[in-house]
Amino acid sequence: MLTYALTFAIACFALALILNLWRLATAPTMPDRILTVDTMVINIIALIVLYGAKAQSAVSFDAALLLAMTGFVSTVAFCKFLLRGGIIE
Amino acid sequence: MSLALIAALPFLGALTPALTQRFGRGIATATVALFSAAALLLILQHVPAIMAGQTITTQINWLPTLGLNANFRLDGLALLFALLILGIGLLIQIYARFYLDTSEPYARFLTYLMLFQGAMLGIVLSDNILLLLVFWEMTSLSSFLLIGFWSHLPKARQGARMALATTGAGGLAMIAGLLMLGHVAGGYDLSTILGERAAIQASPLYVPALLLILLGAFTKSAQFPFHYWLPHAMAAPTPVSAYLHSATMVKAGLFLLARLWPVLAGTPEWFWIVTSAGLITMSFAAGVALFKDDLKAILAYSTVSHLGLITFLLGLGTKAAATAAVFHILCHATFKAALFMLAGIVDHATHTRDIRALGGLRRAMPISFALASIATLSMAGIPPLNGFLSKEMMLEEAAHTAPWVIPVLATFAALLSVAYALRFLVYTFLGQAPAYAHAPHDPGAGLWLPPAILAALVVAIGLAPMAMAGWLVDAAASATTGEAVHAHIALWHGLQPPALWMSLAAVGGALVVLGLYPALRAAWDGAHKPDAKAMFDAGMGWLTKTATALTQGLHNGSLSRGFAVGLCSFLALGLYAYLSAPTLPGTRALTQISFAPVVAFGLLMTAALAATALHRKRLLALLLTGIVGLILSASFAYLSAPDLALTQITVEVVTIALMLLALNFLPKTTPRKTAGFRKLRDGGLAVAVGTGVAALAYTLMTREAMFPPISAFHLAQSLPGAGGHNAVNTIIVDFRGYDTYGEIIVLGIAALLIFALTESLLGTRWAVQPDHAAGDEGDAHPVMLQTATRLILPMAMLVGVYLFLRGHNEPGGGFVAGLVFAIGLVLQYIASGQDWAAARRRIPYHAMIGAGVLVASATGIGSFLAGRPFLTSNFTHGHLPPLKDFELATAALFDLGVFLCVLGAVMLALDALARLAKPQEGR
Amino acid sequence: MSLGVEILISALLVIGGCFGLIGSFGLLKLRGAMQRLHAPTKATTVGVGASLIAAALATYMATGVANWQGVLVAAFLFLTAPLSGLMLAKAHRHLDRPTVPPTGTGAPWAGERPVKP
Repeated sequence: MLTYALTFAIACFALALILNLWRLATAPTMPDRILTVDTMVINIIALIVLYGAKAQSAVSFDAALLLAMTGFVSTVAFCKFLLRGGIIE
Repeated sequence: MSLALIAALPFLGALTPALTQRFGRGIATATVALFSAAALLLILQHVPAIMAGQTITTQINWLPTLGLNANFRLDGLALLFALLILGIGLLIQIYARFYLDTSEPYARFLTYLMLFQGAMLGIVLSDNILLLLVFWEMTSLSSFLLIGFWSHLPKARQGARMALATTGAGGLAMIAGLLMLGHVAGGYDLSTILGERAAIQASPLYVPALLLILLGAFTKSAQFPFHYWLPHAMAAPTPVSAYLHSATMVKAGLFLLARLWPVLAGTPEWFWIVTSAGLITMSFAAGVALFKDDLKAILAYSTVSHLGLITFLLGLGTKAAATAAVFHILCHATFKAALFMLAGIVDHATHTRDIRALGGLRRAMPISFALASIATLSMAGIPPLNGFLSKEMMLEEAAHTAPWVIPVLATFAALLSVAYALRFLVYTFLGQAPAYAHAPHDPGAGLWLPPAILAALVVAIGLAPMAMAGWLVDAAASATTGEAVHAHIALWHGLQPPALWMSLAAVGGALVVLGLYPALRAAWDGAHKPDAKAMFDAGMGWLTKTATALTQGLHNGSLSRGFAVGLCSFLALGLYAYLSAPTLPGTRALTQISFAPVVAFGLLMTAALAATALHRKRLLALLLTGIVGLILSASFAYLSAPDLALTQITVEVVTIALMLLALNFLPKTTPRKTAGFRKLRDGGLAVAVGTGVAALAYTLMTREAMFPPISAFHLAQSLPGAGGHNAVNTIIVDFRGYDTYGEIIVLGIAALLIFALTESLLGTRWAVQPDHAAGDEGDAHPVMLQTATRLILPMAMLVGVYLFLRGHNEPGGGFVAGLVFAIGLVLQYIASGQDWAAARRRIPYHAMIGAGVLVASATGIGSFLAGRPFLTSNFTHGHLPPLKDFELATAALFDLGVFLCVLGAVMLALDALARLAKPQEGR
Repeated sequence: MSLGVEILISALLVIGGCFGLIGSFGLLKLRGAMQRLHAPTKATTVGVGASLIAAALATYMATGVANWQGVLVAAFLFLTAPLSGLMLAKAHRHLDRPTVPPTGTGAPWAGERPVKP
């Protein structure tokens, strides 16, 4: 049962990635694209964690942790660039 | 150790002038002289042993796997040269003290001189021919500095360049020759090589090795047709000429010929090449010397001629000829060094070296006249001076050599040398004195005493050759030939030897030549002569032009051309490899792949393609490359490379921050530049190379490695060898710690460079104002962002510390930790601004870089204390009750250095760019 | 592993997967930019949070080692998702100039320049 649920979850997030790609291609504005990439980061975090659970290794949690901590930095930096023309003032 | 110490003494002496110059020139000279004298005494202490036929050796392993060891040897030949180098060196030091003007940078001169002395001494004392090569190149470099000492004179610069180019090129050839020699002999130590005569001469490499070595020796010793640099090197200060071009540097080539004489000499190739080069040089240069008017030019060509004489003798390949060669090396050094010094004295006294403007100095300068007479007559080969003895020996050897042209040419050269020597003496000191601007007079004892000592030696060796020099010649000739030599040098051998008659003919002929001089001179002046300098310049110009054309053809600054050349080469090599081994799929089974990775890799490819297609919109391209980096990090995690994943994630974030900072200064879109055919061509090349790389990766991944990969070793040795479970980290901080050490230093330098560049741009018109037109939102630092990021900073640091501490055993380490810290700080910069962050910064980033390098260095040096090589790590297992067992490794300290350096470098670069991006005041 | 825990983990995984998919689907489907902001920041965060708990539980059950990184990951996500949302909303408001209601406090919206008289 667990295996099926795991496979289901992984498939969901993979499908989500495809939807993200679709969104990226058709996004009307730049903030939308940035939002899409941000969502991709979160989906990838989920995938890494789920694959870690599948392989029963704790190591992949580190990558997820770092991604969670740093992923939004790029988002914030991109937004700041759009807002102010420079990321550090 | 003692021989190595002797070789090191001049180099140590070279350090002193910088310290002692403040106490005056006398003290500075005395200090360096002390080092030379100490080396001389230490050499002399070995004389009894060498007389007894022993060879003194010292062995120090330097790079034994390459055959490069600091092995030294002192035998008769080395003794002769060492005495010349150090003895004449001492006299030169005294002479230079009084010769050089007080306005000259005297300390620098002494340093160069001592460097040169050390290099020369190193050549003659080396037992290892690779070590000899190192010293050989050092003589080229230090002589370049000495010849060009008066660097404000164009002639000095040109002369120095010419000498360096010629002797340096010869040195390069010699490297190849000596490597071949060592390869054939099976070792690079002279003690090995000298015993392998039969093997070397039978080898097919003998002739190429011989040619290359001779090229090195002939360029150094100014043999025809490489003689041209020596007259031009006369632009050097006279003490330099006296030292380099009479006694030492030009003799280095002869030393090498003598040193390798036992294994190289005795073959027809050796005989014909060396003998003819020597003979041609000897007669040709003597002829040119006759028609020169500059005192130093006459001496320069005379030196070339005498070097030819010695080369000729070494080329004959007989024991007696080698003995004569060794003896003439000694004699020539004594009288020629004296003559150079005297030329300098005349120059000082009369402010001219032109022989046509001189004359009648015998009354005004009686001491100089007396000394010059002795030295010049010795050079001419007039009895009872030492030059006569060695010239007699030369003529005797020539007389016994077929074909007839050899003795005839030798006699002719002797004739010419008598002629130019007499002309030198007569035109300078005899005849009518012209009107000198200042009344010339003899100099102080400091200047005439050194040549006087040499002149005394000239007379003493001439009168009592066996007592004065017999022992040294015996020892040196024995060492040269490898057999016991007992020379019989005497002034009078009776009427039978042909040499006597040849000498007499030479003197008679010389008087005839001098009688006919005006007619000969007119013919010489009217003749068309090839100009060596013009030919050299043309050759160098051609070389420069060819090199420039080649460089411009390959990369003229256009990035696409550089890439195209490189990629085409890859493609050609790859195609060759593919065509010669046409099996694309290998033996390994392909791994199964599931749905999610397919999606992820599809995303990766789409993003990469889109980034290529949309690269003109820079912000979008950056976003797309961000996706590529994201998937890459995820693939590392998926393919169980957690260390790489962590690094990739953090690097991506920092890269995006830096790129966005840089985008500040750039236009938002890239202009369209290439079109049509070029686009097709470049695209085709890119696709071809990309396909090739993909095929290569596929090929590599589908088969087992041909050689066992080194990863097995690292995995096995990680715990026992470095005390860590994480092989990636132990490789970085331990197994390849040296690499990492270099890399963090490079990283630090790069960051400092960015800082320096932006710092120099601040406040100049080049500091382009960033383009804020697009973004003018009023809220520069949203409160929510500020508050939240301040909360995130300690959490980021916690994660950083955690990754750092466990790095040795599990994924993490100093590099990732440094980047995590940096990201936490970057967030503060973004949220609260550069001013805010800079005001709260206690430790300057420069200091962090410096501290990182220092900590890493200290860890490396610490292993010296344990008597092990640099950066050997040490570790022990600790046990602290509430925690798990842990390792205490010095590698962790090293990792701390890495951490500090990475953090400092990233932040320094970021801070510098941020400062540049800020609107600047006052503009 | 007891059946109860297995059911719990499986349920969490299914919930996580569904919410994740819904988040991305919403991002694609919703019409307004401000609406689209809701989908990933809320639904996807719940989805990834549920997956994290499930994965941490599963790993704990399988290896017996408690896994605190999972908690930290969730903490970071919950802390940073609002920040991303804020910045994206600001960017959208700044670039696309949608009409927004007045703040009702007298002060303008953050970042809005006072209208020149």
